[in-house]
Amino acid sequence: MSSLPRTSLERRPTAGAEAPIPAVHVLGTARLLAGATGSSAVGYAEHLALPGTLPQWRLDTLIAATRTVGLLGRGGAAFPVAIKLASLRTGRHNRVLVNGSESEPASWKDRTLMRCAPHRVLDGAILVAHALGTRKITIAVHDVVSARVLQAAVRERVDARRIRVAISDGGFVAGEVQALVNGLAGRPPVPNGRRTLPVDKGLDGRPTFASNVETFAQLGVLARLGPGGFRGAGSPEEPGTTLVTLVGDVPRAGVAEIPTGTPLRALVGASSSPVLLGGYHGTWVNDLDLYLDRPELRAHGISLGAGVLAVLPHDTCPVGEVARVARWLSLESAGQCGPCIFGLASIADDLERLTAGRPVDLSRLHRRLGLVEGRGACSHPDGASRFVATALQAFAEHVERHGDRRPCGLPVRGVLPLPRGGAR
Amino acid sequence: MSGPHLRVDWTRCDGHGLCAPMWPERISLDEWGFPVVAPEPLDDDELPFARRTTGVCPKLALWIDEGR
Repeated sequence: MSSLPRTSLERRPTAGAEAPIPAVHVLGTARLLAGATGSSAVGYAEHLALPGTLPQWRLDTLIAATRTVGLLGRGGAAFPVAIKLASLRTGRHNRVLVNGSESEPASWKDRTLMRCAPHRVLDGAILVAHALGTRKITIAVHDVVSARVLQAAVRERVDARRIRVAISDGGFVAGEVQALVNGLAGRPPVPNGRRTLPVDKGLDGRPTFASNVETFAQLGVLARLGPGGFRGAGSPEEPGTTLVTLVGDVPRAGVAEIPTGTPLRALVGASSSPVLLGGYHGTWVNDLDLYLDRPELRAHGISLGAGVLAVLPHDTCPVGEVARVARWLSLESAGQCGPCIFGLASIADDLERLTAGRPVDLSRLHRRLGLVEGRGACSHPDGASRFVATALQAFAEHVERHGDRRPCGLPVRGVLPLPRGGAR
Repeated sequence: MSGPHLRVDWTRCDGHGLCAPMWPERISLDEWGFPVVAPEPLDDDELPFARRTTGVCPKLALWIDEGR
């Protein structure tokens, strides 16, 4: 047996993923980002000095605690963590998969967390692995900077020796958990045709607890503070804090840790423009009297998704901004499913024509948006359709200005970030 | 989700379009030639015909999800 840490860097990183993190803000109490400066990672000694100590919980204790605080997954689907844990039985066959691939182009919260507070992530992974009776932990990331920070953190502590940090290639859809499992196994990083859940068949074909990096960091905080302490911040429905990425015409652009239940207006300022909630699979809303608490948003039919909040400034054409993202989404299709390949391309064509002031059959566009929903191996077409359909609704007045077969006159500045500068 | 459903494995379907004329009451084709399947569960007495319909798909993309 080698005494070297069992950490491996695998595969080439995604190009352009080495960019520095944006500004980091904390509203209220810092938990995940306690001690973080934004410029360097919180070291292990500093991490240990933060409130609480990491306990070794049995699976039933962990399930009870996550149920008490109503912890929801932070990758986008907001699935209850207690239910996911309860579908696994303790045993060495289990695997733990920490998804840090952050494939949403506008999101920076996961990379910010991994780079500023890697020990928060490791705490959660070690806690879950212990409860599940396994030592097999894989942290999957798409960028080399986060991987290096995590590896350095792994070397700082004896309880993290068996953690593997894997860098995987891939675009938007490669971060979807089935695609990620396939990629880590050396198969093409695309979703499966027939849905399989990681808890049934994940890494190495074994039952796997897979979740987003922030979920693990929240689990670490929960274990150190206990359910009572964890409930000391945030809303009654979904206690604690959450990470968001603020983009565009907002008072404090960057990544922020906020208490759940924070009013949307506290983050977007005096603007009355529509806000994108979630990301490029998300929802454009006109109603700004919302509170950022996942159960509350769900009651309005909205998902906080990957935690992106974006506001467009008044000097860019929203139709053109949406068209640009729609084209990128169509090119990010894994190319497996016909309705996604042809549907998203047709939708992007329509939006580009609309931007340029060329004639577009809007009723056919709406029909196409409905047609791609639920007709893919993953939810990429559904999310892309929601992004476009809600934008057309939220910017209805502006869309009408394009209806006279003329462009609106505003430039398309490309405020909504895309990898490598965009689709074309 | 209860009961058996007719489903499409979208990673296999190439839009050959043989399924729709087989059972037009349940399956139509979209503007790109891919099937649009009615979402309602299959009744017991529909199962034999559903199996015949899945049998015409050259890509084995159309399948019956027995439900759990």
